[in-house]
Amino acid sequence: MTAENPKQDIHEYLAELEDIPGTRVFTAQRARKGYHMNQFCQSLMKEENRQEFRKDERAYMDKWDMTEAQKQALLDRDYNRAIDEGGNVYFLSKLFFTDGKSFLQAVGTMTGMSPEDYQAMMVGGGRSPDGVRSIREGK
Amino acid sequence: MARITAGVATSHVPALGATIDHGKTHEPYWEKIFSGYEWTREWEKGEKPDVVVLVYNDHASAFDMNIIPTFAIGCAERYKSADEGWGPRPVPDVIGHADLAWHIAQSCILDEFDMTIINQMDVDHGLTVPLSMMFGQPEAWPVKVVPLAVNVVTYPPPTGNRCYALGEAIARAVASYPEDLNVQIWGTGGMSHQLQGPRAGLINKAWDTRFLDDLTADPQRLRHIPHIEYLRETGSEGIEMVMWLIMRGALGANVKELHRHYHVPASNTAIGHIVLEPTA
Repeated sequence: MTAENPKQDIHEYLAELEDIPGTRVFTAQRARKGYHMNQFCQSLMKEENRQEFRKDERAYMDKWDMTEAQKQALLDRDYNRAIDEGGNVYFLSKLFFTDGKSFLQAVGTMTGMSPEDYQAMMVGGGRSPDGVRSIREGK
Repeated sequence: MARITAGVATSHVPALGATIDHGKTHEPYWEKIFSGYEWTREWEKGEKPDVVVLVYNDHASAFDMNIIPTFAIGCAERYKSADEGWGPRPVPDVIGHADLAWHIAQSCILDEFDMTIINQMDVDHGLTVPLSMMFGQPEAWPVKVVPLAVNVVTYPPPTGNRCYALGEAIARAVASYPEDLNVQIWGTGGMSHQLQGPRAGLINKAWDTRFLDDLTADPQRLRHIPHIEYLRETGSEGIEMVMWLIMRGALGANVKELHRHYHVPASNTAIGHIVLEPTA
């Protein structure tokens, strides 16, 4: 029943994932780097942990085996840096929501646009894929 | 015998759940989205499905970085709404159909799909938002649910082809279940959206529209779309659309489109919704 699907070479597959402008695909390499940071984020699904975190963010984060760069990115709410340190947006979203921020508000901070401009772009139909499909091919 | 009578697909943006929970669906921004579901809400009242096999992805809620199942089937009696950081959504518990779920799990494993069986988990917006979109705010959900969670977070997710073939296997499993049940299969997530980095906010209406068209016109094309195309064309989170192919695979060779809705934006996302009926 299964239609033929040629198996992709894993090295080519992974190389292509790095060819998208402004995008970090959550590969094994990033998942390994960000393991403790993502587990920290997931701990914020419990109200008692959110309260403890809000009381002293640094002290709560020090309980987790994160690098200083990871902790600082989170303290700064610099989500592009957090993703560069191995964070994944769905894990980071537990921190967005702990802060009372929506996906729209938090995601917009990663674009360099003001919240108003980002919202206006979305209402206007979103960002076009033209020019941001491939770094290599510049299209 | 049990039978799959329809397929439904919808985006599952968390803000849609919050909008319903806070009674804001009639605000102009949101009304443009919710009006496209009114047809389906009426249609569902007539269809009265017994069970929905609900294909969705967990968003780092039930599964953290310790366990990452590619295909996980919920075999529990009930599921609670997950606390995703702002407290659980105020929705009824989701009632499972453990007997059908175990039957699908066993059948699929013999059919060479190595399912992960889940007996306890909370369900996040990926599962509860589609229920809210179709059924509003009832005291209890009018259907039992077999949750089917697909990993689309940690790469690589399953291929579109594998998803489609799993849908075919689910259809065979349902068809061999002895009780007379009206079963729907829902595929959720998508459509184009990117929630990270300087490229966030990407939307590709032309690509999404062709995808919606080809669910009916050329599903064999869709099953062979490589991951990189979803990523380049529809944003990093557009990959969720592979889950629609499980739904489509379960409906057989030919389908009729009963209803479609497409709108940009809901939050960061293009909303897509379609209702399909298998035809001979």
